Amino acid sequence: MRMDTKLIISLAVSAVLIGWAFWVVSPRSEPAPALAQIVDGRQIIDISAKGGYSPRIVEAKAGVPTVLRVRTNGTFDCSASLVIPALSYRAFLKPAGVEEIAISAEEAQGTLQGLCSMGMYNFQIIFR
Amino acid sequence: MNPVTTRIFHISGMHCKACTILIEDALGELPYVERAEVSLADNRVAVTGAFKDSPEDTAEEMTRLVQSRGYTISAEKNERGARWGDFAYAVPIALVFIAAFVLLQKAGLTSFLTGSDVSYGTAFLIGLIASVSSCLAVVGGLVLSLSASSAREGGTWRTQALFHAGRLGGFFFLGGLVGLLGNSLHLGLTANIVLSVLVALVMLVLGVNLLDVFSFAKRFQLALPARFSRHIARGAKHDHYLAPIVVGVGTFFLPCGFTQSMQIYALSTGSFSQGALTMIAFALGTLPMLALLSFGSLNIAHKPWKGIFFKTAGIIVIALALVNGANALATAGVIDPLFNF
Repeated sequence: MRMDTKLIISLAVSAVLIGWAFWVVSPRSEPAPALAQIVDGRQIIDISAKGGYSPRIVEAKAGVPTVLRVRTNGTFDCSASLVIPALSYRAFLKPAGVEEIAISAEEAQGTLQGLCSMGMYNFQIIFR
Repeated sequence: MNPVTTRIFHISGMHCKACTILIEDALGELPYVERAEVSLADNRVAVTGAFKDSPEDTAEEMTRLVQSRGYTISAEKNERGARWGDFAYAVPIALVFIAAFVLLQKAGLTSFLTGSDVSYGTAFLIGLIASVSSCLAVVGGLVLSLSASSAREGGTWRTQALFHAGRLGGFFFLGGLVGLLGNSLHLGLTANIVLSVLVALVMLVLGVNLLDVFSFAKRFQLALPARFSRHIARGAKHDHYLAPIVVGVGTFFLPCGFTQSMQIYALSTGSFSQGALTMIAFALGTLPMLALLSFGSLNIAHKPWKGIFFKTAGIIVIALALVNGANALATAGVIDPLFNF
């Protein structure tokens, strides 16, 4: 019986810890989404990649030819290995530099999800 | 001369098909034993022979033969409750480690790295950081599950050392090759996802086996042909050479962002020696953490509280397997990302 009580207590403590860990890493409580800029009819989105992506959420206009500029600076972690499933895009970014990814007007619809190849870090572009 | 009879003994600490063969072989060495037949599913052994002592004394004598490998043989069935009691310790310990891992990811270790030049010292530092960050989930999880499983089946330090030698050598030669050919050896997106899912599945099965609670997982292992298991079990006595080296070399291709960025750098050097030295410096940086995991498991596998350790390792490995699996599916665009570290 005593073992059962111990087990139940430890499971309860565990459940709390798990819940807390998920709360820490779950993609919630986002900062206000950044807005894309439009320069000479081209929409430009800047994202920096190092130990994750920032900003994590960008709002942009739908149906406008867009350039996604991913900046790296001393980036050796997973975020250098960029995947955008909807565009079938995959690249290994240089440790320092800017990678330009063209998104056509047809592709600039809905929500575009970008992540690193291990899935640890991600960002979203929401076209409205 | 004592009459030949068959007695049933109960075994604790038995996990795998290989264990049954080890025990059958060990008991067969007793002069009065004619035949020993171990049943993995029932944790029993049926021994036929001309016994001269009481069942209790015989069980004690048999235990002496196999206790170095962590098995106990008894005439009476042991309480199974103790096995579940291990979880009272294993679950909280595992959760502390998982929480520590999550917090470590949040600590922003990557900000230590600046600039784009990679000296051998920087490569070593990147390796150190990689071994405690996201790569720990994949490479570390795999090392933990393999070495804990290997230690439980009676593998020795040589198996673990060969794995690390294979990893260091593999990074040296493949790194040099990448530099020489100016062509990266990393896998395409689809292959990457398939490999991630496979690694997650292997970790899941090994993790469930480490928990040692589901008898259906044991039945899974029966699928391995007896001849193959016999080979592994006997091989464990002399140690295998090839398998751990191949697995060590194979870690070069595991999906780990740091490994891939280092490959890009090795590629840009355009020379065998620079590429090789950069990659081995990186691999050396990951060595302390990985060596701790593998030799730590080996050491603990002979301690009295090994049951708690194997269950703790099992829980951690299962958790990492689920994270890796979810991440692989998110990368494939099948599901939305569940985590952002």
